[in-house]
Amino acid sequence: MENLLHPDADSGTIFDVRRFSTHDGDGIRTTVFFKGCPLSCVWCHNPEGISGKRRPLYFEKKCIHCGSCIKVANHGGVGLGAQGEILLKTDRPEDWDRIMQICPTGAIAWDSREVHVMELFREVLKDEPFFHHGGGVTLSGGEPLIQPGFAANLLALLKEQGIHTAMETALLVPERSLAMVLPHLDLIFADCKLFDEEEHIRAAGVSNRRILENIHYLLTSESRDKVVIRTPMIPGYTATEKNIADISSFLSGIYPDVRYEFLNYNPLASAKYHLVGREYCFKENPDRFTKEEMQHFAEISCRKGIKNISIDE
Amino acid sequence: MKNMEMSLRIRALRDKMLSEPRYASIEQARIITNTYKANEGKPRILQRALALKAALEQMEIRVEPGELIVGNRTAGVRAGVVFPESGSTWVDREFETLPTRAQDRFEVREEDIREFREEIKPYWAGKSLEDVLKARYGKEISEISKVAKINQTDHAQGHICPNCSLWLRLGPAKLRAQAEEKKESAKGAKKDFYEAVSIVMAGAQHFMQRYAELLAELADRESIETKKDELRQVSANCAAISGRPPETFHEAVQSLWFLFVILQMESNASSFSPGRLDEILIPFYRKDREMGHLTEEYALEIMECLWLKFNQIVYMRNANSAKFFAGFPIGFNIAVGGQDGDGKDYANEISFLCLKAQEHLGLPQPNLSVRLHEHTGDALLKEAVRVVAKGSGMPQFFNDKAIIPALAKLGIDERDARDYAIVGCVELTTQGNNLGWSDAAMFNLNKALELALNGGKCLLTGKRLAPDYGDLTTYETYEDLEEVLRRYIDEFMEKMIKACEQVERAHIDILPTPFLSAVIDDCMERGTDVTAGGARYNLSGIQMIQVANLADSLAAIKQLVYDEKMVSREELLDALRKDFEGHDILRARLLNKVPKYGNDVEWVDAIGVKWARYFRERIGTYRNYRGGKYHTGMYTVSAHVPMGENVGASPDGRMAGQPLADGGMSPVYGRDVTGPTAVLKSVSRLDKELTTNGGLLNMKFLPEFFRTETGIDKFAKFLRTFVDLEIPHIQFNVVRKEDLIAAKKHPEQYRSLTVRVAGYTAYFTELADELQDEIIARTSYADI
Repeated sequence: MENLLHPDADSGTIFDVRRFSTHDGDGIRTTVFFKGCPLSCVWCHNPEGISGKRRPLYFEKKCIHCGSCIKVANHGGVGLGAQGEILLKTDRPEDWDRIMQICPTGAIAWDSREVHVMELFREVLKDEPFFHHGGGVTLSGGEPLIQPGFAANLLALLKEQGIHTAMETALLVPERSLAMVLPHLDLIFADCKLFDEEEHIRAAGVSNRRILENIHYLLTSESRDKVVIRTPMIPGYTATEKNIADISSFLSGIYPDVRYEFLNYNPLASAKYHLVGREYCFKENPDRFTKEEMQHFAEISCRKGIKNISIDE
Repeated sequence: MKNMEMSLRIRALRDKMLSEPRYASIEQARIITNTYKANEGKPRILQRALALKAALEQMEIRVEPGELIVGNRTAGVRAGVVFPESGSTWVDREFETLPTRAQDRFEVREEDIREFREEIKPYWAGKSLEDVLKARYGKEISEISKVAKINQTDHAQGHICPNCSLWLRLGPAKLRAQAEEKKESAKGAKKDFYEAVSIVMAGAQHFMQRYAELLAELADRESIETKKDELRQVSANCAAISGRPPETFHEAVQSLWFLFVILQMESNASSFSPGRLDEILIPFYRKDREMGHLTEEYALEIMECLWLKFNQIVYMRNANSAKFFAGFPIGFNIAVGGQDGDGKDYANEISFLCLKAQEHLGLPQPNLSVRLHEHTGDALLKEAVRVVAKGSGMPQFFNDKAIIPALAKLGIDERDARDYAIVGCVELTTQGNNLGWSDAAMFNLNKALELALNGGKCLLTGKRLAPDYGDLTTYETYEDLEEVLRRYIDEFMEKMIKACEQVERAHIDILPTPFLSAVIDDCMERGTDVTAGGARYNLSGIQMIQVANLADSLAAIKQLVYDEKMVSREELLDALRKDFEGHDILRARLLNKVPKYGNDVEWVDAIGVKWARYFRERIGTYRNYRGGKYHTGMYTVSAHVPMGENVGASPDGRMAGQPLADGGMSPVYGRDVTGPTAVLKSVSRLDKELTTNGGLLNMKFLPEFFRTETGIDKFAKFLRTFVDLEIPHIQFNVVRKEDLIAAKKHPEQYRSLTVRVAGYTAYFTELADELQDEIIARTSYADI
């Protein structure tokens, strides 16, 4: 067996490996989505990644309503709703693997899987030929840093192969978790969503104090030029003049050369909410911000002393 | 290069051309028939030569005000030329349906139908290629047609790249002189050959002279001085190149166009390709530029006039053939970029002019191809991606790193291999010395599997097509099934080769082509027509149809029936026979629970590779009638639709009659769910030797992907990896679904919307409903 950096963290839980990612760093990348996140932002675009638990999911679009699953579910875990739709009761002690095997379409499937780091390493290496032209691997989630040993193991293996590595993190993790991965990362996308603590608690369910401390840690560390701070522009939540101004002042106070990026609102985020039985923050989905509106936010940030601003449309 | 806009001249010429109706034309058929009647008893090659010369002298000619490049084979644009020497039985059968048939419609004139039936058709009964072949071997060809579809049975052989540089160096006058000289010492058939070359070259000179005169008359009548000068210039070009080789860029492009018009008048065949235009034209361009005779803008206008010309010749096929090759592709294929003879990057100013012309016009022709290799410059690559982003589906990309070594391994001289070009859609050729016969036949591997599963009987009709070696229920192991599949492939291959030989022989007897032969290396030296094996290279290409479906079907059987035993052999065969009626769950399982080709799943891809390799190795042991090798291609053009109509329900979950995978190397659409990088990885498992006749990988991207410079850059990187992975070909559709749905509803508003059907681009609104639907249904990758 290979020498892992953290032998006790040889396996982890992920909910997706997506190849041909083009928005999570340079070139053509493979993104690994880690399961579980200490935040629960009401706009989260990967809501299936919030809970750390593995659960069966039902994909209605794939279902042909053959009833095969109902026949093998012995404990009422699969039933029919009023309109004849399939309803899962995931707390029932079913043999879910068997139900999933019987389902002919894959309409019932685990929302995530536990995987050994070597297996995952081999999986992300499948696109290695693409990484030779500026691509690489990005760890995302969920929050990759709630499985810091596992993440560090994977990153160290990738670096050994000379592969470019990036991570997207919301930073609500102990500083030592961050320190575990920093040496193996070429690029860190760190979210700073809301500056006001009260508002942060309302939107994400937790205080942002730890996050701001970690930003400070990152931007005063040797790795600070590998860091990109990102704010997702959520209408009425993060995308307010005050919030952008506050974050910008905070950042420029630590390191005015920090790279700061605005991510435009993505209306597609709502698509996955019905799968996980959560409420999305908007009943009426707002539009993306226009180029001019995004530019306006960038100007505010610039006035607060940020020099390197980019806008991801 | 400067950022140049499309000129008003080009815009006006384009709009005029697109608004002109297409007619079926019997003018040349009449001339050919009369010439044959007047020359009964002469050797066929002389009859052919005289008929071409007569057409060059007598066909009505026309020029359009503003054209910088003139010439066409009919007075009207995009005419469907009736060509009795190759086949007129189908014309007789289908003449009235031409304006209303599902695919590739043409207007017809009542008086033409009458004249055709009374004057032309009776003369050709039993004499055309189609009739002769039918009499000699029709039954045998028809018997194997469900598995092996034999092509080139009712039209002349095209898919040839003439030696354009030779033509520009000599022109018709010197070629005629050469033929006259060689004739002196030749005897018998060789003497006839040189005589025929001399006759057609004289005709070619006359043809150019006629244009010179027509233009001079128009110049005399023109009152605006600038227009007068322009007409005089174009007239002078035609007059000059009739007597001597071209000297200026403008003359060279004109001369090149006449070459292709005359090739089409001789053969009326699908695809004569200019090849590497940047290599061919650069000496003329640089000379004129250095002497200050030519601006970049004017050079681009000349090129764009040529681009329009490429769209004025279309190829009228019979209704069935039009289903296989929809959108009357004529296959003027131009290759730019790539390596030179020493392996260095070749791209030059002409390469960029070609891309600019493509960007401006975005019409179905020419079929523009960019050759990529490891040292292709970023400038050319990104410019090419920007043109792709415009949505015309072009350029398509070819990979030197895959193709050059594969051609060399086939026995092509290293320098010729480096100088490869493309004919038709994606067929590979050497330039100016090769009769590649690239569409000899299509072999439906999935039909062979169907026969193996169903005891040699057709699932659709129950008819016996092959001996009974057992059926799925009798095969104890997966290997038993494979063994029977192998037997059927062997047996049908043997029969297919015999049929192909008969087709070649009929072409030698009925359709010698002296004009073409004069511009294919070694024919003039040998005094042998190209159809009779005069060319330096004499290949025959067979297409394997479709490896993607075959891999998916065999994978499903292997996993579910033999490995997991989730499905019984009896149940699967029963389901196939009933087209899955009452077997919805089984079908869902076949579709969803077994990995599919195109998702970077090694064991599934390996099944496809195994059988493609088997086919390729076996066919490589045969030699064609001209003494050349057989090799394989993986492309279908639009044939995956009719080929699929012909296959019953298959174990990959495909219903009876549904299309097979499009492209040739592409996964079955909708089944590549792991993204475009996984597709490339899967496709890269096919050895490059499998596609020396041409491979086709089709991918579709939404325009969003190209919206930003970052997107263009990532796309360029995607293509760099495509080169590294040694995949021979890739092409992209960049369309929005809504565009296509809207275009289907309101064709009049989308007349110039083009889509890549397969290896070529067609006007979307001119495609049959089912093809439109299919294009709409193809997988798209959103910009995630």
